[in-house]
Amino acid sequence: MRATDFIDLEAGTLSREIFSSEEIYRREVERVFAPAWSFVGHTSQLAKNGDFFLSRCGIEPVIVSRDQAGAINVLLNSCRHRGMPACRYDSGNATDFICSYHGWSYGLDGALVGVPKFRERYQGKLEREKWGLIRARVNVFHGSIWATFDDAALSFEDYLGPDMQFYLQALLQGPDGDDDGYEVIGGLVKWQVACNWKFGAENFAGDHYHGYSHISVERLSVGLSGKTSRHNFAAAKTPRQAMSVADPKRGHTIRASVFKDLAGYDVQAGAPDEVNDYYLKCHEERQKRLGDKARLLIHGGVIFPNTHFNSAGRTTIGLWLPLSAGKTEIWRWLFVPRNAPNIVKDTLREYYLRYAGPAGMVEQDDMENWTAAQHGTESLVARKYPFNYQLAMGLARPARADEWLGRDVSITEDVAEHNQRAFYAHWAERIADTP
Amino acid sequence: MTASDDRESALDTILLEAEIERFFSAEAEMLDERRFDAWLDLLHEDLRYWMPIARNVRFDKPETEYTREHSEANWFDEGKDILRKRVLQIQGGDHWAEEPRSRTTHLVANVRVEAIDGADITVKSRFVVCGYRLEHDVDLFIGKRIDVLRRVDGKLKILRRAIYLDQSVLLSRNLTTFF
Ligand code: FES
Ligand SMILES: [Fe+2]
Repeated sequence: MRATDFIDLEAGTLSREIFSSEEIYRREVERVFAPAWSFVGHTSQLAKNGDFFLSRCGIEPVIVSRDQAGAINVLLNSCRHRGMPACRYDSGNATDFICSYHGWSYGLDGALVGVPKFRERYQGKLEREKWGLIRARVNVFHGSIWATFDDAALSFEDYLGPDMQFYLQALLQGPDGDDDGYEVIGGLVKWQVACNWKFGAENFAGDHYHGYSHISVERLSVGLSGKTSRHNFAAAKTPRQAMSVADPKRGHTIRASVFKDLAGYDVQAGAPDEVNDYYLKCHEERQKRLGDKARLLIHGGVIFPNTHFNSAGRTTIGLWLPLSAGKTEIWRWLFVPRNAPNIVKDTLREYYLRYAGPAGMVEQDDMENWTAAQHGTESLVARKYPFNYQLAMGLARPARADEWLGRDVSITEDVAEHNQRAFYAHWAERIADTP
Repeated sequence: MTASDDRESALDTILLEAEIERFFSAEAEMLDERRFDAWLDLLHEDLRYWMPIARNVRFDKPETEYTREHSEANWFDEGKDILRKRVLQIQGGDHWAEEPRSRTTHLVANVRVEAIDGADITVKSRFVVCGYRLEHDVDLFIGKRIDVLRRVDGKLKILRRAIYLDQSVLLSRNLTTFF
């Protein structure tokens, strides 16, 4: 397989087959997901030693735990004896994980600590230190926990690259610009969609173009304030430039805006007083902390391949978890500012619930459209005709002009399929045997 | 208390449950016939509409099985204002997740009055909601409901609705129907 079998960057076209071929799905698992660093959760989910939750690393089921020494572990949730999940509770606090089949037990760090009939029938010879749960490499970045099972993978910092480190750090800053400013609210949102995972990924990567999908909700003022459209920044009077930012070497993408100047607070128009006061205070604090960089507003993006996030006043991080070429499970973590008063957390939480996920008035229309688009990748005739990715082609510029926006990234301003092209170009490189 | 008093109070309960069953049937019909404005009229202005997310937890931690309202992630945790917006969204013909419309059938069963407190009646029930959409899409939602109905000027209004869905990972792409 060659990259050019799927993508023609000159023409701006992409094969439909990559959304429906099971063979390509199997290659993705090995070549795209396995070598990647994946978001697996947040330290606020592990407040106490012994706390754990189940997650996914790539598409692999994992246990994320804080052991008795306080260290964070990411363990493949598969018993070394016959492959049972060592843990079948979504979350909790434990001293060990006991496999329900033959009773092997594992410590919070994955060490095999108990084997029934160890002395009598294994004659004490089973090398317990070799049969612990498989441990992933772990990296904690401003509260977010990342993991990979690939020993050959780059370091987390190199995988992200310098520019995406900047954007991810910005994403995880609280509204006041404080690093590590968020906590996860209890309960992950998980649901299944009958479409290829890349429909979600490319939408989050850079689709500034699909306003038409959401016209119904634009009528209804579902924003945080309940008075402006679906986005809080819709109330801002300061002009801003929307942009697609892509790191072509690594496949990461960001949707963002840069405000023209460091303007006064004009974002949360009409929010309840206490909420408005909180955001006003944060706005000033953030400008003090970040200076000129406070002009940046991140809307969302994708850390290659399947970690996606939404920002711009509602911070969520999620995973696209393919189950097959045509089926995807979606997981979402909802974040609220750690130090905010409860009324802010609650108002924000209600905003997420009406916005995102299967009950979200905005995202419902995304899911509907992606599953319908999936049909367009299955017909034999249709598959001869590629998809069109020509929107704003050839208008990219390097970021060097505004140095703080990144060194390696390229940018296209306004509505564009710049990020989708970068995402798929990198994807095709990973999938291909030869360029 | 005499035998006839016992009989009286048993009959009162039966009559009340019959009234509530009819109320729920009429409500289900409004939803299935897409008479959403009539449905909104059944909701008390102070309604809390809550559908938690189910988690898989240890047997001795049943209180953590469903996410909490007012603090955790839920499928729904909102009031009548947002439900009104949801109805307006569906009615516009531009909410693609319901355009063209799904065909739904709402069944409510095992209706049982749990408690009566002044004008407020707590009712437990079970539901099956089937949604068929476009050519091939099927959604099936099964679970339990605990409602608080308030009698206002002789009419029942839904003051609180707790909807416990049996699914954990939602096996449907969307929750565009009402429960
Ligand atoms: S499968 Fe886990 S102990 Fe046998
Ligand atoms: Fe969208």
